[in-house]
Amino acid sequence: MSEEKSYKSDNPAPKDIKQIDSTNLGITWTDGHESVYKVRHLRENCPCAHCIDEWTGVKRLDPNSIPDNIRPTKLHSVGLYAIQFSWSDGHDTGLYSHGLMRNLCQCVDCQ
Amino acid sequence: MLDQDLQVSVMAQLKTVMDPDLHKDIVSLGFVKNMNVEGGNVKFQVELTTPACPVKEQLKTECETKVSSIEGVKSVEVEMTALVRAAEHSQPILTNVKNIIAVASGKGGVGKSTVSANLAMALQMSGAKVGLMDADIYGPSIPQMLGIPITPPKGGADNKFYPHEQYGIKVVSAAFLQKEGVPLMLRGPMLGGIIQQFLQNVEWGKLDYLVIDLPPGTGDVQLTLTQRAPISGAVVVTTPQEVSLIDAEKGVRMFESVKVPLLGIVENMSYFVCDGCDKKHHIFKSGGGNALAEKFKIPFLTDIPLVSAVVEGGDKGVPIIMADPSSPATKAYTKLAGQVAAQLSIIHADKEKPASSFEIAWEG
Repeated sequence: MSEEKSYKSDNPAPKDIKQIDSTNLGITWTDGHESVYKVRHLRENCPCAHCIDEWTGVKRLDPNSIPDNIRPTKLHSVGLYAIQFSWSDGHDTGLYSHGLMRNLCQCVDCQ
Repeated sequence: MLDQDLQVSVMAQLKTVMDPDLHKDIVSLGFVKNMNVEGGNVKFQVELTTPACPVKEQLKTECETKVSSIEGVKSVEVEMTALVRAAEHSQPILTNVKNIIAVASGKGGVGKSTVSANLAMALQMSGAKVGLMDADIYGPSIPQMLGIPITPPKGGADNKFYPHEQYGIKVVSAAFLQKEGVPLMLRGPMLGGIIQQFLQNVEWGKLDYLVIDLPPGTGDVQLTLTQRAPISGAVVVTTPQEVSLIDAEKGVRMFESVKVPLLGIVENMSYFVCDGCDKKHHIFKSGGGNALAEKFKIPFLTDIPLVSAVVEGGDKGVPIIMADPSSPATKAYTKLAGQVAAQLSIIHADKEKPASSFEIAWEG
């Protein structure tokens, strides 16, 4: 049999999601890990086809084009696997999968 | 001052209370409910669009202060409530349905609809309340298999409609939306629209299980359902041969990537038992479904024999499980229903549940 991992293991999902302050989002994961995200970092890493070229994977979004005071206006779950953000610059097409969110964690252990 | 006049003044004052996000006053927004003025005592509710409203307390204080400043008002009682408005994705849908089971395959022709119909019947015969959604928009076959004549669904209030009922289960299908034999020719975005209607506009009533018969593959319908419906788990149907297993594996990976729990693999047309002997003839090889389950460490639910009575039952509109209780296929479907129900219970018992559907309005 192959060494394929079970879909249940090693695949944490957000357990608790909350706004910490006006520029920080906090996620507690099912494996106990705690992430704090600068919202600007999340906007800069939007995975949608406007921001990342769908075929080449090259980033098309110029971080300098994002307003300094960028904030989410709201965020919500998509199915069981992703989070969608609506941003104050009107952008809202990015679906951030749980895996991507975990990869974007900026804590010392993850970096 | 008369209570009636007082009420007018109260409403006028509340018209100056603005919702900071929506930039409108709370009266125009229709947030003020159940206004009651009696002998100078004012009581009303403010119904917000989300219970998580970040300015809830601020609005409450503003309402209380402004209303108590009116001459003749003796007391003010403001209750803050919330009714989450319909919004794409975050809508609470299928709230009366306890379990949603998606039946999928990578490849067409593996008997997905037959498995869905018999699984739904087996669950119903166990005493559960069951619905069956035929989400195969281009090739709906559930009505045929359950012997339901093609008639338009009965409409209800608010654009809702009622499912057809047959053998004690509730059924919706795209077949009912067209005249018999006329193909539905639609591009992708329209498919999503039909699925959305099936999810939102059907008067399912209370269901223990809703079985969704998916179209083959990993396309629009699958994505719409996994993004919009709170699917409890997925069953992947395959036949034993490699060409089917390759696609079944893609189906498994699709559910993994959207984090829908996999209830397990069903191997259909697994073997043939002829009239003359009890020997199992593995026409399409054997063990493939089991191997796939082991590879992904998901349960192998059951294998279902190739029996001509299954096909006859499907064509006549009487599923095998009703037509022939002694058939080996009936036994396999009964086992399948038990396994599916058991896997769902295991998932429900999982303590490390991730956050369910949420919506957060950002403050500041």
